[in-house]
Amino acid sequence: MKEKSVQETGAKKSGKWKAVFARSEVTVLLAVVVLSICFAAMSDGFFTAYNLFNISRTASIYVFIALAQGIVCVVGGMNVSLGSMGGLIVVFIGYAMQNLGVGIFPAILIGLGTGVAAGFLNGMIITKLKLNAFVVTLATSFIFAGLVSGISRGYSYTEIADNFDFVGRSGLFGIPMLLIIALITIAFLIYMFRYTTLGRRLLATGGNQEAARMSGINSERMIVTANIMSGLFTAIAALLWVSKAGSAQPSTGSDWMIISFAVTAIGGTALAGGVFNGLGMLFAAFLLVMVKNGLVAINANVYYEETYLGLILLFAVSLESIKAIINAHNRKNRLKKQQLEK
Amino acid sequence: MLELKGIGKSFPGVKALDDITLTFKPGEVHALMGENGAGKSTLMKIITGVYKPDEGQVYLDGSEMHFKNYRDAVDHEISMVSQEIQVISEATVAENIVLDRLDRFGRYGVVNWKKVNETAAQYLGMVGLKLDPTQKIGGLTAAQKQLIQIAKALSCNAKYILLDEPTSSLTGYETKTLLEIVRKLKRDQVGVIFISHKIEEVLEVCDKVSVLRDGKFVGTRDCGNSERSDIVRMMIGRKEDMAHKGFLTVGEEKVLEAKDITVYGQFDHVNMDLRKGEILGLSGLVGSGRTEFVRLLIGIDKMDEGEVYVNGKRAQIHSLQDALDKYRIGYVTENRKEEGLILDNTVGFNLTIGIWKRLASKIHRIQTKEEQRLVGDMIRKMEVKTPDEKTKVSSLSGGNQQKISIGKWLAAQCDILIIDEPTVGVDIGAKEYIHNLIWDLADKEHKSIILISSDMPELISLSRRILVFNDQKIVGEINNLNERELSYAEVSEKIGEYLA
Repeated sequence: MKEKSVQETGAKKSGKWKAVFARSEVTVLLAVVVLSICFAAMSDGFFTAYNLFNISRTASIYVFIALAQGIVCVVGGMNVSLGSMGGLIVVFIGYAMQNLGVGIFPAILIGLGTGVAAGFLNGMIITKLKLNAFVVTLATSFIFAGLVSGISRGYSYTEIADNFDFVGRSGLFGIPMLLIIALITIAFLIYMFRYTTLGRRLLATGGNQEAARMSGINSERMIVTANIMSGLFTAIAALLWVSKAGSAQPSTGSDWMIISFAVTAIGGTALAGGVFNGLGMLFAAFLLVMVKNGLVAINANVYYEETYLGLILLFAVSLESIKAIINAHNRKNRLKKQQLEK
Repeated sequence: MLELKGIGKSFPGVKALDDITLTFKPGEVHALMGENGAGKSTLMKIITGVYKPDEGQVYLDGSEMHFKNYRDAVDHEISMVSQEIQVISEATVAENIVLDRLDRFGRYGVVNWKKVNETAAQYLGMVGLKLDPTQKIGGLTAAQKQLIQIAKALSCNAKYILLDEPTSSLTGYETKTLLEIVRKLKRDQVGVIFISHKIEEVLEVCDKVSVLRDGKFVGTRDCGNSERSDIVRMMIGRKEDMAHKGFLTVGEEKVLEAKDITVYGQFDHVNMDLRKGEILGLSGLVGSGRTEFVRLLIGIDKMDEGEVYVNGKRAQIHSLQDALDKYRIGYVTENRKEEGLILDNTVGFNLTIGIWKRLASKIHRIQTKEEQRLVGDMIRKMEVKTPDEKTKVSSLSGGNQQKISIGKWLAAQCDILIIDEPTVGVDIGAKEYIHNLIWDLADKEHKSIILISSDMPELISLSRRILVFNDQKIVGEINNLNERELSYAEVSEKIGEYLA
């Protein structure tokens, strides 16, 4: 009992600030701020309106790529197929516009429809055949990748409908349209996970699938829903990518899987499920793009870019463990002190 | 001789073992029995060095032992075959048998496989398995794997072997083979400690049987002159009587009725009904089918045949979601950690999990103010000791976790509540609170309750009708508990008779 009371008073004093800094999105935000200051000090080209506009555009697409991963992580699953899924959607849009001559809106519908269908397929196989999400999406990733090269033969689709690049390339009061869309989506998701039945049920399923089922939640349906949303976000990322690039390249998505896991993990959405951190993912997306961009700006050896990214990711995922080790150490010391006092 | 003297062991809030003194002799098969939570597993772990006792000593042939870990116990010729089958499927039979001692079969880190396979073959012979030692273990049956685990225990040249429910995964024929091996071990002067829930096989193969209850030693009997009923009585016990709670106003109408529930190979046309405002107790030993039966009624597991009626109408229950949303039936699981709670989420989240839909507005927004009020009320009403509603459930004590596990169904305003082992691993204060709560739910709020419990005083003092399960059948009913006050001894005697 004595130990408990000591702990409580100690916690109350510094509790508020500690709680703020313990939040993973705050840690990531700090990292973004520190990095910006460093890069700005080291290079003239970094802190320009043009460069920031560019960083925001890429980061916004990374947000959607990460959401496609994050939403299945929430229910305790994963989607390693989202890269080739993205490639497939891009190819379908490109093919539709170039070879079938469809307009903007049918193309968008085709893109979203493909994403939803692919996600539904993943979700149904995972739940109905009771297979591991990793294995299933690994298999479907090969299926999608094969379709990408089979249909496109590796050629880009350049005859994109006029005005399709409007969203990807324009801005509103100097803020890229892409960023606005990403912010709205994140705001909506934060709301969903906090205030809606669906959001809560997704979290419960990821927290403990069996307990969720035993509390009257159809956890299988939640897993399918999460996979459909994953497909939907992949489709949005793919559409925005085409809009930003102005052409549909079949190589799109080859690095998405890595990016999606990195942003999700750095942003504090547990890969084990049951947690969603929207702001964390937003800041993490910026962090990732800034590292890539900043390294170019300061003329660092870009051949090592992936090593830097890997180190950051490793640091981010080990942060929780490091905290736990430090806490355990402190607790031991405190108990030792108390015992000596006795 | 392997002797335990005054062994005691506590876990936070629970005294798991209290002053246990037992003697195991070579060439003797000694059964250890007791209900769930009686302390058998804890005792096994103390003998094999996995846990250290808080009090008491372990003596081996007269000298006091302080095993540092399981490996240390194995080095002293004590080995254990655990209940779960622990083999490495991708390794060969021989590798599995000598796995932990591979370093002794060779030099400079190079294994002498010929010697390994020869040794393995020798022990396979001892357990009566005609298998190729170089065969992979993957495709073998559960029984063969269990026997290989026993061969592994033998290959340690163990003088004492602990078998923890060795027959639970075996069929009738395989069980016979296993019991034959136990007899052979006895002839070879090995001391066997045999944990089992099956009284028949204990009486068949063991020399002595010792019973534990609530962490205390109840007694030791010679199997030769014991009856099944004696042992059942020792297991369920005549613990302290709980005060009589009075009588309930039970309605005439059947709120839940199960007709001809059948699962091929398990349940054969089992019937049950529950009346309004009643507390119906389900008694029976572990594995008797009491939990399995209710899980069928509320759609957690699937039945092959049978019908369920709620308030006289045929009910379509395909999942717990149906049971909750359509018929207001709640189920407090016996495994609160695995099935009852989202441990890493908050108290509030866990309490309202069943009613988010009801709390949502037309635009599907959960009314958080209403939710907070409800959670606050529930924490106060249930006397949950928690700093606030945002605390993670994992940081609460067992008793408080259990209150939340029950509280979420109260929040959902269930009319029918099925409560499975409500007080396992719960401290005394919370236990008393939960007993009063269950009684008040039926007495004051006219909820209909099915109570499943291994705790006899709890079951008898709360239930006003008791069904006794044995071997997937209802073998008896005690239905006059709501008419006159029967003594605890009378009722437990009757249950014992049905079980025996």
